[in-house]
Amino acid sequence: MTGTAEKGRPQVHERLRRLLFLVPFVAKNPGLPVDEVAKKLGVGREELLEELDLLTLVGRPPFQPDDFVDIYVEDGRVYVDLDQRLSAPPRLTAAEGVALAAAAALLKPAGGDALTAALAKLETVLPPHAVQRYRAMAKTLDVAMEAPDGLATLSQAIVERREVELDYFTAGRGQTERRRVRPQELFSHRGLWYLAAHCLTRGDARLFRLDRIAGLSLTDVRFEPQEPATRAMPGVVDAAGEVRVRFAPAVAPWIVERFGDAARALPDGAVEVTVPGDSERWLTQWILSFGGDAVVVEPGWAKDAVARAARASLDSD
Amino acid sequence: MERTERLLDLVALLLDAQEPLPWSEIRAAFPDDYGGPSTEASERKFERDKAELLELGIPITFVSGDDDVPDGYVIDKNAYYLPEVGLTPEELAVLYAAGSAALASGAFPGRQDLAHALRKVGFFSDGPLPAPKVRLELGGVADARDLPGRLDLLWSAINARKSVELDYYSPHTKALTKRKVDPWGLALRRGLWTLVGFCHLRQAPRSFHVHRIRALTVNAQRPKSADFEVPPDFRLDDYVATWPWQFRFHPPVDVGVELKGELAPLASRLFPAQPTAGERVTLTVRATYLEGLLKYVLSLGADARVVSPPDAVERFRGMARRVLDAHAGGPTS
Repeated sequence: MTGTAEKGRPQVHERLRRLLFLVPFVAKNPGLPVDEVAKKLGVGREELLEELDLLTLVGRPPFQPDDFVDIYVEDGRVYVDLDQRLSAPPRLTAAEGVALAAAAALLKPAGGDALTAALAKLETVLPPHAVQRYRAMAKTLDVAMEAPDGLATLSQAIVERREVELDYFTAGRGQTERRRVRPQELFSHRGLWYLAAHCLTRGDARLFRLDRIAGLSLTDVRFEPQEPATRAMPGVVDAAGEVRVRFAPAVAPWIVERFGDAARALPDGAVEVTVPGDSERWLTQWILSFGGDAVVVEPGWAKDAVARAARASLDSD
Repeated sequence: MERTERLLDLVALLLDAQEPLPWSEIRAAFPDDYGGPSTEASERKFERDKAELLELGIPITFVSGDDDVPDGYVIDKNAYYLPEVGLTPEELAVLYAAGSAALASGAFPGRQDLAHALRKVGFFSDGPLPAPKVRLELGGVADARDLPGRLDLLWSAINARKSVELDYYSPHTKALTKRKVDPWGLALRRGLWTLVGFCHLRQAPRSFHVHRIRALTVNAQRPKSADFEVPPDFRLDDYVATWPWQFRFHPPVDVGVELKGELAPLASRLFPAQPTAGERVTLTVRATYLEGLLKYVLSLGADARVVSPPDAVERFRGMARRVLDAHAGGPTS
């Protein structure tokens, strides 16, 4: 813990590291609009202007006119004339390094070689005296996610605005088709990963499930960013409707924790939950993972799907 | 003079100095701050300022001089300035994707540290920096309002090695217990955050789901000195279950699992075990919680089954039969 938070003011620690970044950032990117600099720093416009006011008081003794940081706003843009040797930000602290390495682990193992290489380089830019602390602290944050294949390639495609080609399996058609898409956003929802993209093959915005993508390849064709199409969350647009699931008293406390008020208590200690029925595969896996403590109440198609899956397991040889 | 301003002035002064700055000169440079009548009080004030700068990673040290150079304080400029990290676009993209996703999820400890780290690694890149375009759900519980704040508080307590007091809720007993815990680390598994630390109530290391912490306070006494040491051989992975069949308190059973069809090539990702080669692969999974393993295999579908030992096979089939019986009839309501 560093410093004490005063009323409504950031801690000294936080302000210092913000300001030690701000001066070199403006020196390197002169003439950026105030709002853009504020956004970069993660602060509001007013807060940034206050920080700039403080910086004009900063300098080194004996505080002659040329000894002060000269940073100013002109026509709504920020410039720095004298940076007083704050020409580059300080190196990463051990805590910053650990937080970044842990976040990077979210994309493991999908991040692959690029991630490993990036983390190795990261360690080289820690101050020499912080490396040991970094290694000790790295043991205090351990992140494991089940990130699917393709996540790193698609992240890169989004960032570099490159078109990708992929084979997509459409459950409705029961077939696989080659598509060319402009990736816009990746997100996880209820344990599944989705890609929101503009599909050139279909000429429209589409959602793709990562577990149904194969043969992913990055092209060298770049595209201009466009306003992301308004898209519904998966499940909302689906005609499959909702599925009612009953959980045995033995697992009820954990379901209540997971679903909160959406879990309805029944007199015998069981609870019921309603979930979107957009993904038969997800639903079936989810019900089976309770090993009999979760039962679909309705509709019939969902009960049938679970029964089919359980029978298939019994018949499997 | 405001403290932030004085600390920045100190950095500017030391970065500009050509040789070590003696305490007498620093004192003279800040007469209002360090020039008071009590030398001892001034020195303490300077030591606190120096500690704050060290905490920020600023390499300020005292060096002993010689005939030519006086004793004094320096900032090692090589160790101060961030050098070019030299990340390739792909490496930067993957770090940005991960970092932005963690920030956007809200439920990640050390969010301020992470935001600063991202800014710094992107400092030398000339093109526009990647925007957050990856989102993930963390937390995994209905009521996650308190989670971000709790994670940040725990992160700062872990880094400063300060004890915490918490009210811990058990969904099993539906009761709260008060615990004093030395927080050793945080782990994320399957979207849920776990705190591992030494529990003073149980006098042993324990793990706690962060979303079950109902109240949390960090020991405010002597914030700059550590309350405890973390055992040198501590590994978070030893205390948190990565897989649903791991539970520390049961004896282990070796279970044979067979995968075929589209699951066969995924074997090494679905299980932390070495699969055999071929179209049908088998692997041996050491389970400390058999029930958890059986449910997991069942959820994988018809291309996965348990093949040994016999009583595990029987329980697996019994589980599938229970699910089938519960779903084979018409609507049950």
